[in-house]
Amino acid sequence: MTMTGLDLLAAGDSNAIKDLINTLCQPHWFFIIASVAMIVFLVGYRTLTKPAVALAGGLAFTAFYVLSGFDSDFLSIIQKPDNVPITMMIYLVGFFVWLAFRQAAVNDQNMEEGKPLLEAGSDDKVLVWPDLVYTELIALVLCTVALTVWSVILRAPLEQPANPAVIPNPSKAPWYFLGLQEMLVYFDPWIAGVLLPGLIIVGLIAIPYIDRNPRGNGYYTLKERKFAITTFLFGFLLLWVVLIVFGTFLRGPNWNFFGPYEFWDPHRPAALLNINLADIFWVQWLGRGIPTESFGMLPHFVVREAPGIVLLSFYFFILPGILRYTVFRKMGNQLGFVRYMVMIQLFLWMAFVPIKMALRWTLNFKYFVAITENFLNF
Amino acid sequence: MATKELVTKVWIEDGCIVCDACETASPDVFEVLDDSCVIRPDALNMEFTKPLTDSIIEAAEECPVDVIKFDTVAGEAPDAPAPAADAPAEKAVPAPAAAAKAPASKPAAASEPAKKSAAKSPAKQPVVSVAGDPDPAIQALLRAATARGGAAGIAASEDGAGLAAKAWDRKSAADLPPDARQAKVMSAAKAAAKDGVTRRGMLASSACGVGWLAMAGTTAVSGIAFGRFMMPNVLEEPDPKVRIGPLSYFAQLPPGGVNNETKLQGFWMIRVEDKLIALNIICTHLGCIPSWLPNDRKFKCPCHGSGFRQTGINFEGPAPRPLERFKINVIDGIVVVDRSKKFQYEKGQWDNPDSFLTV
Repeated sequence: MTMTGLDLLAAGDSNAIKDLINTLCQPHWFFIIASVAMIVFLVGYRTLTKPAVALAGGLAFTAFYVLSGFDSDFLSIIQKPDNVPITMMIYLVGFFVWLAFRQAAVNDQNMEEGKPLLEAGSDDKVLVWPDLVYTELIALVLCTVALTVWSVILRAPLEQPANPAVIPNPSKAPWYFLGLQEMLVYFDPWIAGVLLPGLIIVGLIAIPYIDRNPRGNGYYTLKERKFAITTFLFGFLLLWVVLIVFGTFLRGPNWNFFGPYEFWDPHRPAALLNINLADIFWVQWLGRGIPTESFGMLPHFVVREAPGIVLLSFYFFILPGILRYTVFRKMGNQLGFVRYMVMIQLFLWMAFVPIKMALRWTLNFKYFVAITENFLNF
Repeated sequence: MATKELVTKVWIEDGCIVCDACETASPDVFEVLDDSCVIRPDALNMEFTKPLTDSIIEAAEECPVDVIKFDTVAGEAPDAPAPAADAPAEKAVPAPAAAAKAPASKPAAASEPAKKSAAKSPAKQPVVSVAGDPDPAIQALLRAATARGGAAGIAASEDGAGLAAKAWDRKSAADLPPDARQAKVMSAAKAAAKDGVTRRGMLASSACGVGWLAMAGTTAVSGIAFGRFMMPNVLEEPDPKVRIGPLSYFAQLPPGGVNNETKLQGFWMIRVEDKLIALNIICTHLGCIPSWLPNDRKFKCPCHGSGFRQTGINFEGPAPRPLERFKINVIDGIVVVDRSKKFQYEKGQWDNPDSFLTV
């Protein structure tokens, strides 16, 4: 027998609702729901960003958040001084996304009707003195007051001196690094800690050189820049903000996933037996042992990891060419060879993160290529 | 309409004797004050002076000391003085100026860029006004700035600008308007400095050299000091060899047993079948310290969830390789663990007899 959330609400069975939400907060479901929500928002942005609709959404979320606070486990999470900024972050991200897409919705509507854009004729120049300096002064005073009050009300979460015998469990990074810490679960340190952050920074720097499309410069729009905005939002909302939410609400002792209303039991059993592509290919599909012999010039680890090497070579070297003449044909023509290759490599690296996360969540999949002998693990 | 020279810019050189002749000839352009004569602000705009070409030329001719100078452009003389808006094609300053300066033998070639520039930027002459600012002086200055710098700046990328600059280069400084003269003198000074060593340049480069030398010296000295700092005379670190207790005590561990008491020394004592090993507590992923979970019989890292079997083999989470084992041996019945010597599974070092004790 299945029950919908509304049935459960009607029955007043709060435990069943919590169980349902806990289930939906398993990482793969959470990520799928968040992705679908983003797509729905991008498709229906003209309706969903109407002030009344957006306000209703914000109030509904607030009601959900406050009601969740009656659960002691959830309350203990949001009450932690470390996690106060997370609540602010959720509301601020929501507000600014709404603000941008509201203006995009109005502009897109105006463009279709041939009316002037919101930004038309606006002179957003401000005199440094007195306007800007006064604004900055007020902001400075307000920030100082807020930080002072905050630090007086909530004690800094300082702990005793480091002791290898007493380890905080879970050991969490500062909130703004939780996304990075989450990525470290799926990739080796040099990839998640060096390569991927480097690619994020280099990629953001490269955007103005890759994307020379003048549309959307100086005004909000979604209709004219669907791919660019969707890609950026995917990287920002799903691969950064959602990972921070994972790290805050869903990661418990031993860095296991817990539902938001689930007690953080450090002894809860969790079997996460890793499996590599080599295991799947040689053992499960071919039904033989993992090769340990070298083949001609190829050392044994290359033979062993051949499936992963072929797959990743296809992904990073062949797939860009295929996409160039199918999905990204028009964009490839506009960008030219070099810009297209830079763009597609950044794009594929970005897509590599959720692909590997999903494989880990569903199959406990660890490495495509595992040459642990030489620290080459992908 | 006939083609004739139109005045685009008029100025007064030093030496005015305040004779009133110019104001008489062209009262809209010249204003004679008590001790000097000035151009009225309105007349800084070429659209204002063009229709007044005749009177300006007359004023210049009548000036007894010949201090009134003007720049001209070839243009179509309106039959009657027309509002400025009727002549948008001649609004870009440099290109018409180039046309005026070009040798008469090549009028067609010279006027070509002018037409081009005009065609490309028919609407580029900015209309500047400060709304609601009634001060006519400010309005006039703004218009003048637009006519001189604004439009010229915008048109600078057009073809005509190059020709204009060349034409101005050929003229001697005395024949140029004051602002162009200043620019010419400055560039001449720059060029002179480039050719030879000036005193100022010599001083500047000496100062530069001294600065770089000082920086190199400071860097070298601090580098040496840093190197010295990295090699202290006395290094206070615990002895990597620890005596942890009699062998008989650890031999009591059941197979698969983990002794947590030595964790503060940086390792666990573990009995794996008939071997006694010392397992490093540092996680091979990013250096956190896992905890021993007796119920699950595994080591679990609280930072990223790496899991290790009691042997040290990694089996879950992101750790790329097993935990390391330390060198272990027995001296006089006491177990001694040497933390300076590590044995790694992926390098096949766990078979090394130094890496375990047989009990």
